[in-house]
Amino acid sequence: MRWTKELIPIAGAIVLALGIGAIVTALTGYSVPAVFKQLVIGAFGDWYQLAQTLTQATPILFTSLSFLIAFRAGLFNIGAEGQLYLGAFFSAWAGFSLRLPPVLHTVVCLLFGAVAGAIWGFIPGWLRAKRGANEFVTTMMLSYVAIYLTSWLVAPGGPYHGTQWANQTVRIATSAQFPRFIRGAQLSWGIVVGVLIAFIVWYLLFRTPRGYELRAVGQNPLAAEYGGINVARNLILALVLAGALAGLGGAAETLGTHRRFIENFSPGYGWDGIAGGLIARAHPLGAILAAVLMGALRAGGQAVDRAGVAPADLASVIQGLVIFFVVAPELIRYLRRLRRGKLGDTEP
Amino acid sequence: MGILSLNLFISALRLATPIALVALGETYSERAGVINVGVEGMALAGALSCAIVAYFTGSPALALIAAIGIGASLGALHAVWSVYLRADHVVSGAAVNLLVTGFALFLTRVIWGWRGTSPSAPTMNAWILVGVGVFLIALSQVYIFRTPWGLRLRVVGEHPRAADTAGINVYRTRLFYTVLNGALCGLAGAFLFNNLGRFTDGMVGGRGFIGIAAMVVGNYRPLPALLAAYLFGFVDALQMRLQEYIPSQFSLMLPYILTVIVLAGFLGRAQVPKALGKPYIKEQG
Repeated sequence: MRWTKELIPIAGAIVLALGIGAIVTALTGYSVPAVFKQLVIGAFGDWYQLAQTLTQATPILFTSLSFLIAFRAGLFNIGAEGQLYLGAFFSAWAGFSLRLPPVLHTVVCLLFGAVAGAIWGFIPGWLRAKRGANEFVTTMMLSYVAIYLTSWLVAPGGPYHGTQWANQTVRIATSAQFPRFIRGAQLSWGIVVGVLIAFIVWYLLFRTPRGYELRAVGQNPLAAEYGGINVARNLILALVLAGALAGLGGAAETLGTHRRFIENFSPGYGWDGIAGGLIARAHPLGAILAAVLMGALRAGGQAVDRAGVAPADLASVIQGLVIFFVVAPELIRYLRRLRRGKLGDTEP
Repeated sequence: MGILSLNLFISALRLATPIALVALGETYSERAGVINVGVEGMALAGALSCAIVAYFTGSPALALIAAIGIGASLGALHAVWSVYLRADHVVSGAAVNLLVTGFALFLTRVIWGWRGTSPSAPTMNAWILVGVGVFLIALSQVYIFRTPWGLRLRVVGEHPRAADTAGINVYRTRLFYTVLNGALCGLAGAFLFNNLGRFTDGMVGGRGFIGIAAMVVGNYRPLPALLAAYLFGFVDALQMRLQEYIPSQFSLMLPYILTVIVLAGFLGRAQVPKALGKPYIKEQG
């Protein structure tokens, strides 16, 4: 099986990262068993903790999908964070401004989020395809523009400053909200929508001509061009879809988790998506597992903190280590092949 | 003069310094062909190590060395990953940022018990670092365009194969300039610490990315990048005074929007090094 071959180096990377995380824990004077026990209990200990993990995993799943769909077309979407903010704001706007029947209202809010993100993906896509502008710089820069824009919208003096005590909008209508699963936990239908979308992205990438074209452009744009594929259109499409996916992630946060738009609500979910997409080896179904892993690290980290055994931020240290090791094993294999001289003069 | 006082131009120079240092570092590594989006994390690591060493030894000079050293080590890490292991440059840089952010929040808790901040610690006069920055930038303008070493640096980024044929070690050159980039980011972090007198986790706050922006706007040249950094610093200083008229968020957006416009080629073509971000694979003999 091909996927077991893919899985082993990733599992190895995770174990290695946890190992170094354990060393860091020990060196800084915390109890390794206590920290790891709390990490597991906090992430999967009971239904409530599992709900916390999945709540954290939801936006990460969307941003991972956003990163990987662009990655498959050979592009870097580093701006998922900004697309997420725009998606969250505009779905909130649809949530408190429009009056619609329950299910329809939610769908319309999701569409608002997706379109807002898609527009923010179209700009760097168009600039890349037509003007040759590096998309990893433009997506990153536009991300900040989006974050400042939404921040202004809800700041005092801004048009949607909804409450006196915090920079946020008013609550969205009940008809727009995602139902929640457990009383007291924020976990909502967002995760179900996320998993559904992951399957749709998988189908799109691997079972449709459109997905074939996207991947062909990512593998070798010159060959794709000779094969009659419109490269420019596919580059734009990839970033539009990437933006839409991140925007949907923002919408899911608004509709399920916060039920309003809050300034600076994301602790870096957009950046987590880069890690998630890479840990998943850019596979949409793998992204589900990767997002749960990262959600578990976040939720577990909070439990570690609450229990007072170590600061929560140990989890982000481990997360950073995981990424380093996940990108390494493939390259070690690559180098080994290179030494055997099987690799030509190609530039991947 | 009203809003435009001498004071404004002076505070702009201070605000521009970390941006200009990062821009200079990035100019070196990108000229050699290495993209480094880890500048944000490298500057943060520099600021944190500066705070830690200054707090425990009381010596701002030692703290400065520590900041530069940590920045350089992270530069080396990024170089090993991107140049030797051929990891994607953007991914490796992003991983540096995540790792440092996590470590910064963790270590401040471990050392001082506060999440993301340090108590105040001994500093040196930040103006010294402003001067050092301007001096290094002027020197680099000459180094990159008027010396044989600068020529070698540019060839490695433009045409590594030709550089290799001419006997230049492409890998080592890229490693060296990426380490230099890290060291300059560390210096930027040291400036931020000495400017404020303590560490906070938000003190870099996107200035690393604005540094990359300044480099793009300056078209990969140290002196124009300094001017771009000064413009951004000026806008930053001005937005505090203009808040009554323009919401600060809009002035804060300016560097980012300007960068996108420059990259889009609406203000003349940016001259991106041709081998930027591409791994170099030595031919097998």
